[in-house]
Amino acid sequence: MQEGQSTQGHEHEHRSDTVILPAPTPWPLVLALGLALLITGMVTHWVISLLGLLLTLRAIVGWFFDIFPHELHVAVPVQTGVMKISSTRTTREQLPVSAEHRQILPVETFSVVSGIKGGIVGGLAMIVPAALFGLLKYHSIWYAVNLLAAGGFVSWASASTAFLCQFHLEGLLAATGIHAFTSVLIGLLYGAMLPMFPRKPILTAGFVAPLLWTGILYSALGIISPVLNARINWLWFVISQIAFGLVCGFIVNLQVKVRTPQFRALPFAVRAGLHSDVPLTKDEDL
Amino acid sequence: MTTTPVLEAVDETLETQGKPPLNVIYEWLTTVDHKKIGLMYICYALLFLVIGGFEAVLMRIQLAIPNNHFVSPQVFNQLFTMHGTTMVFFMGMPILFGMGNYLVPLMIGARDMAFPRLNAFSFWVSAFAGFLLYFSYIGGSGLYAAGSAPDVGWFAYAPLTSKVFSPGHSTDYWTLAVFLSGIGSIGTALNIVTTILCMRCKGMKMSRMPLLPWLYLVMSGLVFVAVSPLTAAQIMLTFDRYLGAHFFDTQAGGSAILWMHFFWIFGHPEVYVLVLPAFAFANEIIPVFSRKAMFGYPAMVAASVAIGFISLSVWAHHMFTAGLGPAGNTFFVFATMVISVPTGIKIFNWLATIWGGKIIFAVPMMFMVGFLFQFLIAGLTGIMLAAAPFNWQLSASYFVVAHFHYVLVGAIVFSLFGAFYYWYPKVTGKMMDETLGKWHFWLFLIGFHLTFDFMHIPGILGMPRRIYTYEDGRGWNTLNLIVGIGAIFQSVGTLILVYNMIRSYYKGKEAGHDPWDAWTLEWSVPSPPPSYNFAIEPTVNSRRPLWDLKHPEDPDTDYE
Repeated sequence: MQEGQSTQGHEHEHRSDTVILPAPTPWPLVLALGLALLITGMVTHWVISLLGLLLTLRAIVGWFFDIFPHELHVAVPVQTGVMKISSTRTTREQLPVSAEHRQILPVETFSVVSGIKGGIVGGLAMIVPAALFGLLKYHSIWYAVNLLAAGGFVSWASASTAFLCQFHLEGLLAATGIHAFTSVLIGLLYGAMLPMFPRKPILTAGFVAPLLWTGILYSALGIISPVLNARINWLWFVISQIAFGLVCGFIVNLQVKVRTPQFRALPFAVRAGLHSDVPLTKDEDL
Repeated sequence: MTTTPVLEAVDETLETQGKPPLNVIYEWLTTVDHKKIGLMYICYALLFLVIGGFEAVLMRIQLAIPNNHFVSPQVFNQLFTMHGTTMVFFMGMPILFGMGNYLVPLMIGARDMAFPRLNAFSFWVSAFAGFLLYFSYIGGSGLYAAGSAPDVGWFAYAPLTSKVFSPGHSTDYWTLAVFLSGIGSIGTALNIVTTILCMRCKGMKMSRMPLLPWLYLVMSGLVFVAVSPLTAAQIMLTFDRYLGAHFFDTQAGGSAILWMHFFWIFGHPEVYVLVLPAFAFANEIIPVFSRKAMFGYPAMVAASVAIGFISLSVWAHHMFTAGLGPAGNTFFVFATMVISVPTGIKIFNWLATIWGGKIIFAVPMMFMVGFLFQFLIAGLTGIMLAAAPFNWQLSASYFVVAHFHYVLVGAIVFSLFGAFYYWYPKVTGKMMDETLGKWHFWLFLIGFHLTFDFMHIPGILGMPRRIYTYEDGRGWNTLNLIVGIGAIFQSVGTLILVYNMIRSYYKGKEAGHDPWDAWTLEWSVPSPPPSYNFAIEPTVNSRRPLWDLKHPEDPDTDYE
């Protein structure tokens, strides 16, 4: 790594000048010492505090005259010359990349708003199977709502089924908050990730992602709240997640894509749509 | 090979040599140069690293075998209090402020910090705070009695800090020293923020700023928000102890929980105050040694800012066992887990930067690989402890001690050591010895894993933190012995670092101004840099100005 140093030498001198810098001063040190002694007197002797006070006052005066009426400066002499900087490494042309080669960075992606829209509509769609589950099994649409609210009201996880089947305003508000926040967050993830898996969007968005998410939640909830974990019907949970994934993915995919910075790096011929076979990275290669 | 002029002019002035020692001392005592202040911060912090490390070794000797009485219980309490306080306030923060002081102006093309005199004051007030803390060994019970160091733990929970349970002045020394260091921290944070916002060179928009200044900006913002409550709490505690106030006096309507909130609303962001600069070093070192631009620069900036905000809402996960109630528990479990999202983004981006790169396993990069792996493990045990039921079982156990040392040593110290090897040539003009560096790395790595991997297990087996000694037959003996042996490996590794730094200063190879073929502005000035940094203010057109100058055929400006 050192070989290249010989190429980085200074060339002929061509200019002399000065640079103005703040003058060195003892007063910051004295002020710090004064303050330290001032409070050290609290745990030692009042004379130490008195000494600290005197030093503090002197430092304040000294510092003041460092700045007023004119800030004290020193002129540091500079002798300048041209320095050549070069890399010790060589670069080489990148090998042509096959058209079939997987693109690592998408040149187009969805906007943030796409993800939010997808999350909102997906979240609404998810309510249908969740409410259906409550109706079919407990004859109440509020069961799923209150169970979700148990994420906020921890004691509700062990409440009776009758309690969970009743309407509770605070439960509805808590569930709405949790559901809205999570839906938008997952929608944003969809917006960010779907362009990276462009080949089978229905499979990715509708099934793979919901199953992964359910798997993570299933394994985590058993540790975080075993009681809540036991009350969740995981089959219906998966159905709800798939409903979310399909709708959210559909809505996100409907949106118009925006170009990423990678697009601007492409040659003009590619940006103009005349050519498509391009290397997408510019990293150095020895 | 391309050879392209980088700047119209650069410094060739040599510092005057051979000054009388007293003049040199006076020059350093009165300096307002950010580089000298940065170096003083670092030297001062290294002194406290040795002291704090020595205290750790003493504690590990005490715990290496059961029923040991190597030190007394009173001394043991002082050791863990002083070790924690020293390492957080007088080693961790100063060394990171020192690195920031040295590097931030150079990386943004500035001649100095925004407030050079405030910078000097902040350093000196922090330095005197450290000396005040250790003066307690002489004067802890007042000048008229034998001294004693603070012994209330680094978080000094109420009501242990009240006059009833902590007579004399030992706790006052802790309170006043931490208060004083807080003034210095806020002063330096103010300087860093102002410098970054107001003194960037021409062309350096925020979106072109290197990631190190970005992370120091977030870190300094956190210092404002986090250190202020601690400073307020120290004043309240002083009122309690001196003026008979009852803020934390549970017998008179005060609240011990209030202290916990005050302390941890500082304490947990403080972890991020320490770890964000470690991330910053990784952001500079990993790309250079992978020969690739940083992957996902905007995401890295966004993740850093997100960490800054979220870290302010997680403090009460330190208080799950205090009884927060269901809503509090749920919120802080959730907030703590959410912070793993931006942190995970960072880890993925570092890996993506390394992926496909032409990796050079020089010593700085070796430390970065260690940092990445260990920080991941630290994050995973952090998520485990973020789950309130798990936390209830293992709170205040050695599992927690192992977890946070994985963060503080496994992540922060490893990254810091990598930064030493990376920027040492810039600071001294000499290269550090690579062989000694590798000895340092491997010994420290082995020692670290012996100590902190094995420290998790006695925690799970029920060994409480801060325990003075333990009975035989609990299954902790061998594990504690291994933990102690690991501390010896780490100590030897650190001594090799110190030897390497001193030896290389006198006998190291000349570094030149850009030994790593790097891309940020500090590598465009001589090593060591002149007092004014840049003879002519540089102009930048991308995030990697030196890349552009070395590769005019393929500048970054085409891609940003």
